[in-house]
Amino acid sequence: MTMTTPAAVPGVTAPIITFENASFAYHGTPALQGLTFSVMPGEFLGIIGPNGSGKTTLLKALLGLVAPTSGRATMFDCTCHTLRCHHRARIGYLPQRSHVDPHFPITVFETVLMGRYGALGLFHRPTASDRELAAGALTDVGLLELKDRPLGQLSGGQQQRVLIARALAQQPQVLLLDEPTTGVDAPTQTALLSLVRRLHQVRHLTVLFVTHDINVVSPVVDRLALLNGRLVAIGRPADVLTRETLAAVYGEAVIVASQGGGSYVIVADHHHD
Amino acid sequence: MTELLTYGFMQRALAASVMIGTLCAVVGVFVVLRGLAFVGAGTAHAAFAGVTLGYLAGISPMAMALVFALGTIWIVQALNERSRTAFDVSVGIFYAASMALAIVFIGLMRTYNAEVYGYLFGSILSVTARELWTIGLLSAVALLCLALFFKEFHFIAFDQEMAEASGIPATRLFFLLLTLVGVTIVVALKAVGALLVFALLVIPAAAAYQLAGRLWTMILWAVALGLASTIGGLLLSYAFDLPSGSTITLLATAFFFLAVLASPKR
Repeated sequence: MTMTTPAAVPGVTAPIITFENASFAYHGTPALQGLTFSVMPGEFLGIIGPNGSGKTTLLKALLGLVAPTSGRATMFDCTCHTLRCHHRARIGYLPQRSHVDPHFPITVFETVLMGRYGALGLFHRPTASDRELAAGALTDVGLLELKDRPLGQLSGGQQQRVLIARALAQQPQVLLLDEPTTGVDAPTQTALLSLVRRLHQVRHLTVLFVTHDINVVSPVVDRLALLNGRLVAIGRPADVLTRETLAAVYGEAVIVASQGGGSYVIVADHHHD
Repeated sequence: MTELLTYGFMQRALAASVMIGTLCAVVGVFVVLRGLAFVGAGTAHAAFAGVTLGYLAGISPMAMALVFALGTIWIVQALNERSRTAFDVSVGIFYAASMALAIVFIGLMRTYNAEVYGYLFGSILSVTARELWTIGLLSAVALLCLALFFKEFHFIAFDQEMAEASGIPATRLFFLLLTLVGVTIVVALKAVGALLVFALLVIPAAAAYQLAGRLWTMILWAVALGLASTIGGLLLSYAFDLPSGSTITLLATAFFFLAVLASPKR
């Protein structure tokens, strides 16, 4: 199967990511079966599902860490799934909030500059333009004035913005966020979401936002993908967040409330690290 | 004290102290940051098993130590990747197995060999010129590797998963880092002994971690404290007729507690 080149046809763009009947295994056991969907450039897609629904596996697939056991996964017109592929640098990845050693000897700026290392390659030292990109990324997340601080001295929310800046320094086309709102307080969540939304608009980034927290993402995304070992539903939040669809995944104890044009969902699902 | 420096054995001991102190400190920074202290301990004992086999079979003990140290590290890493055995578990298994092997080999020797025990407890005053050259060469290679992949090692120590996802060959470079740890241990084995070798790898860097906010300053502190420990320990052990390896280790430990007390991070 061939695809149209995005730039060749004016007004028509090809998907940036396409899954065609792709299945993936996690530690040898099937985790996701027969995924078929695509993501358009500039789209903001929320990926939701309960624990063990395959969110992490999909994330690894998107990062090129696992190859499909059957079917096809295409990113940037390439079916690569090895880390050495140059396409890797086009995906900026914010891993699930991991514990940052508060005394690790690294400054904010050094952390962001690490975003350039993949593109730099081995044996090359960061140049002035790499430093400019890192400074630009820090400006975008509003933390340039803290650039010389040790990373460990920053608050949890600030550290997360630094890690987003590191992803931006890669100059990615796709920003992949793994549970970014887990374990942060409500004001930090709000600030983070508005930052991601702004980056999405200003930098024209394709954003993939993986979360178990449906209500956090549903107001901001273009589409939601609901996973449960397979793709249960994908579409506009209002179409996905129906009682019937959610009950099929989370069980009958699902409450869907209409609220200001959107839906507020209560499901019996807790996030575990 | 100055006449001490005219002795050939003392000059060699000091030269070995400087090289080992520097190498262990620099590699140790990454060991401490990446949490590989137990790997250091396990590998040191595997290297000792290699030494005993070397004496038993009449092969170069240093070469056998290198084979055993790297063999252990590579198998542990392979186990970790393939069968998902936790790192500290497989290191623990090799730790126990290599000590058992060492004791079997010593038993097979039938005669008491004082030199073998030198590798267990350290005998920096009996380092030969030939061994000094080996130490120098291996140190230079290890430090060169660290310099070449400095920015990647910093990234891996900080967050290996992230480094991998950013397109850095993090798994392979981690493998190289482990190899450098193995080489470093073999380099330091004769001087401070298998029981104490990982002390030099871990303690100066751990002290430096207390004092530094930047990677470069941490390395400089680690080297300074590593050299102060090895050279100071050597002179103290000579002056008070104490075992060299133990004196070096105890001095390094004293520096560590001073660093904790002086730490701006507390």
